[in-house]
Amino acid sequence: MKSYSSIKFLFLLLLFFAGCLFSLAYGGSNATTISDFSSDNFIFWQIRVPKTITAILAGATLSAAGLILQIMFRNPLAGPYVLGISSGASLMVAITILTGNTVGFFSNYFIGKSIIVLSSVTGSVLITLLILFLSKKISSNVILLLVGLMLSQICGALQGALEYFADPDSLKSFVMWGMGSLSGTTNSDLMIFIPVSFMALAVLVFFIKPLNAFLLGQNYAINAGINYSANRFFLILVSSLLTGITTAFCGPIAFVGIAVPLLSRMLFTTSNQGVHILSCILIGSIILLFSDVVCHTFSADFTLPINMITTFVGAPLVIYLLFKNKQW
Amino acid sequence: MDNRAAIHISNANFGYTKHKTSVDILKNITLKFGKGEFIGVAGLNGSGKSTLLRSVCGLLPLLKGDVSINGISLSELSASELAKQASIVLTEKISGFNLNCYDAVAAGQMPYTNIFNALEPEHKKIINSAIEACGLLLHQNKLLTELSDGLFQKTMIAKCIAQQTPVMLLDEPSAFLDYASKHELFLLLKSLAEKDNKCILVSSHDLDLVLKYCHKVLLVKNSTAELIPIEEARWHTVFKELSGGYL
Repeated sequence: MKSYSSIKFLFLLLLFFAGCLFSLAYGGSNATTISDFSSDNFIFWQIRVPKTITAILAGATLSAAGLILQIMFRNPLAGPYVLGISSGASLMVAITILTGNTVGFFSNYFIGKSIIVLSSVTGSVLITLLILFLSKKISSNVILLLVGLMLSQICGALQGALEYFADPDSLKSFVMWGMGSLSGTTNSDLMIFIPVSFMALAVLVFFIKPLNAFLLGQNYAINAGINYSANRFFLILVSSLLTGITTAFCGPIAFVGIAVPLLSRMLFTTSNQGVHILSCILIGSIILLFSDVVCHTFSADFTLPINMITTFVGAPLVIYLLFKNKQW
Repeated sequence: MDNRAAIHISNANFGYTKHKTSVDILKNITLKFGKGEFIGVAGLNGSGKSTLLRSVCGLLPLLKGDVSINGISLSELSASELAKQASIVLTEKISGFNLNCYDAVAAGQMPYTNIFNALEPEHKKIINSAIEACGLLLHQNKLLTELSDGLFQKTMIAKCIAQQTPVMLLDEPSAFLDYASKHELFLLLKSLAEKDNKCILVSSHDLDLVLKYCHKVLLVKNSTAELIPIEEARWHTVFKELSGGYL
């Protein structure tokens, strides 16, 4: 058992590095710049490298957030996108950008970015709390999923209304943000993105035991000596941070958060969440790295939206599971 | 405070809160259970057996009064300290997330593992002996979804044993078990109480088993609980009523 797991991890690592190489090699420009590492290679250092790092971070954070949500709700169909948490983050960013531009928040780069990140995380926390409140009244996994989708629609509609009434300048900066792509992140953005994601992911080491206990349900978790409400509070915070930070820089990315933990449980038959945290981070990164490559390979002139690819991977998997009706 | 009492309930109300109003299911309960005592909790459906067991291990908040385990009040015990004092088997089913029989039993050792939940050889030894005691050796690698109701019940009982607490609370553990397993379970619990000096409360509708193996019977009826020595239980008028005259 153990040796198989390490072989699988080795395989995932190989895929991860292959994904990094491909992602660095493919981009909006035809120039094969990967062999040229001199600092004046603008395309490589200012576009490809931040894009690849963004793909890794976005995949890792969304997948880890999905894993936490699935365990917290004891629902294998939960995820930041399907529960409307990404849309909540997106809506908060819309409110901030579309109303804040007039206040002049965004004259300073770092303050502006930090405020976007903060509002994105706040939006995630609010929707997670709402879902948590609703989940106590809903016993069915599928109905919770439907409620999440409705919430996401409501957020989308509110966002649409905001856009309709926004002045052209703020609308432009919001539309630029909301493109939902991995390529929009600059090296300066990474100065915020990298440390926050790393911190939120590293903190998960201390939640291996609570997550393992949460698998048994609230009562057995409490009887296993876990402070249930305190741990749930921090897990909401961490998962919202993970979803919020990525949504702040990439826009809402679909289906990675729900599909990757499912794949991880198919690949590793253990129930130890220490293994699954690590494998979710790896699988999530791999999927977004290769999705990014696919986005760029169809045409040199345009880039497909990343959501198109992730939906093509994630949605059929969810449908398959619904049909199979197996508890993962 | 009597230090010999493993569980001391003083003037407590048990129940739950709904829409900010408390619903008292059991009222003004004062009881003492000693170490080494194997107690059968009997009562009709909805009489409050589960409420009592859940309240004693802190899963339901006390509405009034106090409960102490081995001389320490529940309010003074942290979650992890309480988990080393009292373990419970519930009636709820758990499944999914690749959980197998071994993992569920291993959860019993969770209060004793480090923050990464790493199982050391001494933890594994205890888990393995609990699995063996419950006759689960052949099933330990099966997913919880693949287990029959009876085997799942045995798994959770093994979890309770693996937790190695001085107080064990089991909520209808004999439901779903076959005839032989029911007797084996009660024999096992009785020997745990007598040899390891544990205080074991087991709620059950199998009145014949309770009468055969338990030391005392806790009769839960009309919002009260009455502790009856086993010799009197069979001839107790209320108990006769509980059995519908069929016993």
